[in-house]
Amino acid sequence: MTETTVSRESFSAHIWRKTLDGVGVKVGLAWIALLVFAAVFAPFLANSMPLLISKDGIISAPVLRYLSVEDAWVLATFFIALAVYRLRLGSGKRILLFLLGSAVAALLVNMFLKPPVLVIYDDFRTITYTDVDWRIMPPIPYAPTDYLRDLGSKGLEAPFKTEGHTHLMGTEENGADVLSRMIHACRISLSIGLIASGIALFIGVIVGGLMGYFSGIVDMLGMRLVEIFEDIPTLFLLLTFVAFFGRSLYMMMVIIGITGWSGYARYVRQEFLKLRKQDYVQAAVASGLPLSSILFRHMLPNGVAPLLVAVSFGVAGAILSEATLSFLGLGVVDAPSWGQMLDQAVKSSTFNWWMAAFPGGAIFMTVFSYNLIGEAFRDAIDPQLSRKAGVN
Amino acid sequence: MLTYLLRRLLLMIPTLLGITILVFTVMAMSPGGISAQTLIGGTDMKPQEKQALLNYYNKRYGLDKPAPVQYLRWLNNVSPIGFTIDEQGNRGEFSFSKGMDLGTSFQYGRPVSDILAERIPITLLLNLVTIPFTYLIAIFVGMKSAANRGGSFDVGMGMSMLALWSIPTMLAGVLLLGFFGNVQHFQWFPTAGISSREAQDMPFLPHWEQTGFVRGFLLDRVWHLILPVICLSYGSFAALAKLTRTSILENLNSDYARTARAKGLAEHDVLWRHVFRNSLLPLITISAGLLPSLLAGSLIVENIFSINGMGQLAVEAVKGRDRELVLSITWVSGFLTLIGYLIADFCYTLADPRVSYD
Repeated sequence: MTETTVSRESFSAHIWRKTLDGVGVKVGLAWIALLVFAAVFAPFLANSMPLLISKDGIISAPVLRYLSVEDAWVLATFFIALAVYRLRLGSGKRILLFLLGSAVAALLVNMFLKPPVLVIYDDFRTITYTDVDWRIMPPIPYAPTDYLRDLGSKGLEAPFKTEGHTHLMGTEENGADVLSRMIHACRISLSIGLIASGIALFIGVIVGGLMGYFSGIVDMLGMRLVEIFEDIPTLFLLLTFVAFFGRSLYMMMVIIGITGWSGYARYVRQEFLKLRKQDYVQAAVASGLPLSSILFRHMLPNGVAPLLVAVSFGVAGAILSEATLSFLGLGVVDAPSWGQMLDQAVKSSTFNWWMAAFPGGAIFMTVFSYNLIGEAFRDAIDPQLSRKAGVN
Repeated sequence: MLTYLLRRLLLMIPTLLGITILVFTVMAMSPGGISAQTLIGGTDMKPQEKQALLNYYNKRYGLDKPAPVQYLRWLNNVSPIGFTIDEQGNRGEFSFSKGMDLGTSFQYGRPVSDILAERIPITLLLNLVTIPFTYLIAIFVGMKSAANRGGSFDVGMGMSMLALWSIPTMLAGVLLLGFFGNVQHFQWFPTAGISSREAQDMPFLPHWEQTGFVRGFLLDRVWHLILPVICLSYGSFAALAKLTRTSILENLNSDYARTARAKGLAEHDVLWRHVFRNSLLPLITISAGLLPSLLAGSLIVENIFSINGMGQLAVEAVKGRDRELVLSITWVSGFLTLIGYLIADFCYTLADPRVSYD
């Protein structure tokens, strides 16, 4: 007699386990983890100032003194996220706690952190900072906006070709270190990817949910709206938005979000059209629950699985959008971003492969990782589909 | 069929209206509105000149009126039927034969329709060369991977297609241009444009002359198009190849394929004569979505390879905040996309007699 075992694994745990099965997804997650690490600890990884120095017996940390408000907030948020993840709470409470924590952190950091307004990187190479008992420098001892004038940097130096100072990935036209710029640009790519697709998801779920739930005339009008957004090439719409509005990072997030929701709306609509006549939805309607509760508490959790697949592809798309905009010269101006570095490579008078290959490679790896994760996710969620596709 | 066609064409109108309203709203909501954005340039003009220009614009485009009125005015100018407007900007009577007036580009000072007539064929050429190329490779790779499913070719291709799909077009373009077009490395291909200047004087076909080989207009064009077409195509054929594979596998396991095998057909015949045609259906459906993505792709590719097509025009128009040009490009590209959907639906009936739209 065969013994039947009852699996006590929850649905989400099951999906997780199956998603993590493949090799590709592990590579993808590892790359994303690396990016997160680089984004959070950027000022400690690539900076011109020493991490720690000991001078005349007094130990000080110049990096901490020069830490910008943004750097500090990112660090704080990262540790809050870690702490919240360790807590044993429901996921809703965790998210709430995390948001609250990061808001408090933003407030505190803004109130108490007063970094020096002017940073002169040359100073850190003068005798005040070099003539010390001992000092620890970051792994990449160049800040992204340190143009190494005092070292006589001519710019456009190939990797390892420089004398006196090594650049693992060469330097750009102005003489700043390419790797350092890339590390600091991780932040833009990651945050745009997540927040822009978050905004898109939010709009898409609401519009798609209403369309699917009400169907009929709302559905028809909604579909026209979706079609309008789909028929303009997204890139062109993005360009128009960016050109006619500002170019700040936050504006870009909002804009990429606003232009990218139509796919999600389609997904949600399809799921909700299927669900709306189900008994439990009818029961929810009959018991007089408010609309938001029916839509988001009862229906959404049942239609969320395929949406998550779309999100992970959507993050890849958002990162690509930002890179493309920056590449076309319509991106964020004051901070380095991968697309902008690629643009620099084209604009410079000669072709310098290291300026194109490394930032471009980073964009590629990130997009590839998200695609790999999305693919694995889809196969785990929809075994029937993947069997058809001949995956297993 | 005719009624279906008519209905589809009529349904395009609200969508096109929506597209232009959307883009117009974006422009109108921008800081300062359209009027300020348009008048940003010309700082070197004398005050009276600037005032004259402003008066001219106000009269011509009604820039001093509220945004909805401006939009209606623009719409009236563009639509083939509407009110006639005289030189003074006064509204005449309703006419059915007044013709379309796309306006004059602020930036180039030329009629928008002339500029578009110059640029659209170039982008269409680029895309029409790319599509068959894309499909050929996609079908070949998809068939091969489906035929030896689980084999090394299949697994390798599956991975590399996802990788290809993830390569940003701009990276591919920059690297290809840098390595194959640049003097510093292999200078095999031209770096800019879609034909050389001397190609205008060449005969169409390549031939031999006393002085040596003359590549002719055609070969020159092909030579210029190779790199841009590679850039445009790899992303879509990667996606299409995956789709082809899925679709063929699905059909290979279906009942009719089993019947065909049971009656003793060779595997080759089963694949090519029975399964292949049925597997085409999703490929045709996806072809509709391909056109917008190609148009968007040509935006980047044309910028990298300095090709004077719609894509480059779009970037220039948007950067120059050229209202007339931006609006026209918007609805023209929307229109092309919708036509693409329509053609895809027609091809669907050709490939599958079961589908009919009556």
